[in-house]
Amino acid sequence: MIEINNLAKSFGDVQALDGLSFSAKDGEITGLLGPNGAGKTTCLRTLYGLLKADSGSAIIDNIDVALQPILARQKLGIFPDKFGLYERLTAYEQIDYFASIHGLTGEHKKQAIEQVLTDLQMQDLAHRKTQGFSQGQRMKVTLAQSLVHQPKNFVLDEPTRGLDVMSTRILRDHLSKFKAKGHCILFSSHVMQEVAALCDRVIIVANGKLAAQGTPEELCELAGESQLEEAFVKIIGSDEGVAA
Amino acid sequence: MIQFKALLAKEYKEAFRDKRALMVAMMMAFLAPVMIFALSKTMIKEMVATPPIYVKVTGAEFAPKLMKQFKDGNILLFKDVPEDEKRLWDERNIALTIPKDFAKNMVEGKTIELVLSTDYSEKAIRAPIRRIKDKIQTYARIIGFKRLLVRGIDVKLLQPIKIYEQDTAQPSSNAAFISLMLGLYLLMAAFMSGLSVAIDSSAGERERNVLEILLCQPVSTLKIVLAKLCTASTISVIGVVLTLTLTSFSVGFVDLSKIGATFSLDLYSILVLLILLIPIGFFASALQLFVSFQAKSFKEAQSTVSMIIMLPTMIPVALMFIDDKPKWLDWLPVSGQSLLMEDLFKNVPINWLEVAATGGVTIAMTIALVMVLAYKLKSEKVVLAL
Repeated sequence: MIEINNLAKSFGDVQALDGLSFSAKDGEITGLLGPNGAGKTTCLRTLYGLLKADSGSAIIDNIDVALQPILARQKLGIFPDKFGLYERLTAYEQIDYFASIHGLTGEHKKQAIEQVLTDLQMQDLAHRKTQGFSQGQRMKVTLAQSLVHQPKNFVLDEPTRGLDVMSTRILRDHLSKFKAKGHCILFSSHVMQEVAALCDRVIIVANGKLAAQGTPEELCELAGESQLEEAFVKIIGSDEGVAA
Repeated sequence: MIQFKALLAKEYKEAFRDKRALMVAMMMAFLAPVMIFALSKTMIKEMVATPPIYVKVTGAEFAPKLMKQFKDGNILLFKDVPEDEKRLWDERNIALTIPKDFAKNMVEGKTIELVLSTDYSEKAIRAPIRRIKDKIQTYARIIGFKRLLVRGIDVKLLQPIKIYEQDTAQPSSNAAFISLMLGLYLLMAAFMSGLSVAIDSSAGERERNVLEILLCQPVSTLKIVLAKLCTASTISVIGVVLTLTLTSFSVGFVDLSKIGATFSLDLYSILVLLILLIPIGFFASALQLFVSFQAKSFKEAQSTVSMIIMLPTMIPVALMFIDDKPKWLDWLPVSGQSLLMEDLFKNVPINWLEVAATGGVTIAMTIALVMVLAYKLKSEKVVLAL
């Protein structure tokens, strides 16, 4: 369960978040939509505890991130906006590293790693050094490292960019399975078909504020359009950023 | 503990797998023996050599025995000067005039007047002139003694007083220059060896976008900083140990006793040096991490950290110019260790209290740097390099 309450954050003169509120419930996939610069990444960074909000709060499973960041992060799996790999480690070593940071040990850790490698169909990549991996392979390693500890809440910042069709399908299946197990998934994307197909609820953010929320169907109805893309453009009031 | 072990294992893996950076880090160590060897060799050569002197002698044929004495002392006639040095010795223009009646006056026991003319104010000529005068006077004294001896007079009568000169300078002090260089070099090694790892694991990770993910994990920034510090300092300490080992090996090949130096790196000195330098390795790495974590980019980190490298060279050199050293210099990092190393090389007994004090202050400052850095890594300014 992720709750964002009246979050405000400015960098100098730029008001990145301006009283944003929404929640992502357990057992649902919540989509975070918004044009470039709407404040999605700022919102998520505040949720990770990297940024301190000027006002408002981010709460994960009833833990305030600003007050107990380490406790809150234990409940979180993060697929960040900008990610890199430790290029001198193998994929397995890197996933192992993150598993250990989340406190997994011994046989339990080994099983968790094997599980995530199987789930993401990446056993053949596991023992190669990540230097020279393709964009899609890099995404998979990052996904695996953020999923290995089976987080209760899972936040993904544009997870499908650079993935091929097969990998995107694997990811979608995976997210659906997580949802069925009652996990809370918050995921930002630009791909409307994906959001429409996958998300139970959609949050549309524009100019650091909540512009609209509801199921994809509700949003289409609200805007009087049949396609989510058209509805999105109508709701945010411009076609800026849609093509990105 | 599980977290710290994982962090440490990952840092070590990354550091030791970057073979090229590791080679550069160990460069200092591999160059040390070469430098010490070359330096000592040139110094010995300069201090014990008697290079040839070319004198314009007029009337050399009148005093063949004196000329032989000259030749034995590598003082040669100007006509024999090699082409490439001709100009130099022509300019120096050292001229000795031997009178025609040299042999006649010698037989008659009269004083022979030789004229030695040159520009006495010129510094470079002082040593040759001293050697020429010594040679002539020795020659004259031997003849004088012989004259007295054949007349049955004890030559000791000519010497009512004899001075015995005793040099109280410690023999090792003569090797002061070499030891100063070695001291500087070891400090540099402590600062340089861990450098690439410190920058790579801080500013480098930020630039490769892996730092942000790590800071989003449920792990305290103190553990992260400590793991990185341990890795960088390990490399730094390895650098110092390697430098010491290779240097002690190479010093064995140079005969420093020729210049009266008793400089040696025995096990005891190596141990003392290690006790002095290991805290420096940690301090240097902490300082480098502190600076490069706060740099906006890898390049900025590199240029700022390069400035820190000046520290170990500047402080000992500056200390040389301070005659009346304030007490607190014994306690500070780098300066304290540098002064103690000087004592060690001069064979002055080591003041263990000072070793503990300067080591303690160095470690305390390292801890302070780590704590402040761990705190700073929680601020969004440092995390996102805003």
